[in-house]
Amino acid sequence: MFFIKVVGCLMIILSSSFLGFSYSRIYSERLKNLIYFQNCLQILETEIIYGANPLPDALKEVYCKGNKKVSYIFDEIREFLLNNKDLSVYDGFLHVVPELREVLCFKEQDIEIILSFGRSLGISNRTDQEKYFKVISVQLKGQQKEAEEEKMKNGKMYKSLGILIGFGIVLALY
Amino acid sequence: MEAYNNFIKSKKTCKVSAYYEILDFLDSELTDVLSKIPKDIIERVEEIRLRNGKPLMINLGNKDYFISKNAELVSEPSNCVYINYKHIVKTFQLISNYSIYSIEEELKNGFVTVRGGHRVGVTGKAIYGINGLETIRDISSLNIRIAKEIIGVSDAIMEYIIRKPNTIYNTLLVSPPQCGKTTLLRDIIRNISNGMCDKKFHGIKVGVVDERSEIGGTYRGYPQNDVGVRTDIIDGCQKYEGIMLLLRSMSPNVIATDEIGDEKDIKAIHEAIKAGVKIISTVHGNGLDDILSKPKLKNIISEKVFERIILIDNSKGVGTIQDIVDGFSFKSVMR
Repeated sequence: MFFIKVVGCLMIILSSSFLGFSYSRIYSERLKNLIYFQNCLQILETEIIYGANPLPDALKEVYCKGNKKVSYIFDEIREFLLNNKDLSVYDGFLHVVPELREVLCFKEQDIEIILSFGRSLGISNRTDQEKYFKVISVQLKGQQKEAEEEKMKNGKMYKSLGILIGFGIVLALY
Repeated sequence: MEAYNNFIKSKKTCKVSAYYEILDFLDSELTDVLSKIPKDIIERVEEIRLRNGKPLMINLGNKDYFISKNAELVSEPSNCVYINYKHIVKTFQLISNYSIYSIEEELKNGFVTVRGGHRVGVTGKAIYGINGLETIRDISSLNIRIAKEIIGVSDAIMEYIIRKPNTIYNTLLVSPPQCGKTTLLRDIIRNISNGMCDKKFHGIKVGVVDERSEIGGTYRGYPQNDVGVRTDIIDGCQKYEGIMLLLRSMSPNVIATDEIGDEKDIKAIHEAIKAGVKIISTVHGNGLDDILSKPKLKNIISEKVFERIILIDNSKGVGTIQDIVDGFSFKSVMR
């Protein structure tokens, strides 16, 4: 009897801490992916501003050179463009929004920034494009800072909350 | 190694496939209509014209036609396909490959060369910056010119251009616009560069200054037209600079360029002749008297720089060779 009780308690504690950890993981994932995404944008910027490479080629380069965890997004946009000749680059960005939200754990605000960048990508000359890259870089830096703070605050909180709630339930049941 | 591989045969290109190639760059609504046009017409289409708010038009054989919704060629603009801004924007997006920045420089000249060597002329609102024309915005018209590469068109006249032993005469092609000057020049370049087996002419090195990307139709470093195996193209370069650059860097035997006329061009031609390089070029004009009346050209003709002058016109269809004259005596050498 005692044995079953111990196992049950352990299971409750483990599962609630697991919940806590996975919640806190969202914060660290978002931060990591934001950084990777910015790296990808830097590659894209080089391709566009210095290489004047047409967008599909530039996106392919980003996919190859960037961290695959994030850069596959750019390959998806490229595929989308090549398969839908009636739609625009912005539509390509819209197409990857679910991925950004669910796989990369981006917040609505991050997605807004990326979409507004997608609206202006490729539609003007190089000096103009450079400005858009500057804007998104500043904006994403801001998001990154916010993500860091959130990770420090909420990430830790959810982790300890998970464990504590587990213990709480166990105590209440005992 | 007495150049056994010296004579290279070129394969013929298919004009229908060139047309379908162009359709990839058009808005899908237009593609649907244009792909239904009968095959025999497709072969002859020279231009596809898109103008904001105006009917879709195609040009063939110096005539233009509207296109009805059932893909028939009509001469009355009722019940035909009209172009709207969306068509223009989508088409331009495909032509620029989603990246205006990558065609920035070309746009300044008012045209873009796409895959396949086809040229798309662009008009709209011109935007000026510190360095002159910066870009074109609010596109109003697109003129899609299907590249007409006719391989073998110059074979018959090569005997007048080839000079023993294994070199060529300085040659000038004279013709009014749209008579196939550039097409002929391109094929002459190909023959000089590849060599001609039946004329016992071994290919020699040709440098091409392709200011308007019309001769080679270079797309990302690959000439889309067959210009021969011993041909080096400097693309989008002004003629004077291009000729000087080729002389310095590529040691050509022949320099070919399109549409001379400027004083600077003529200066460069003199430089080339001094360096012992042969020149082959074209000029706008209606016959010999017309070019002799143009002050700058008059000089170079009277200096007898060009040893052969080929006169082209439209009298018996595009690219009729009217006469080939000797540059010294102005007498016909045609047999």
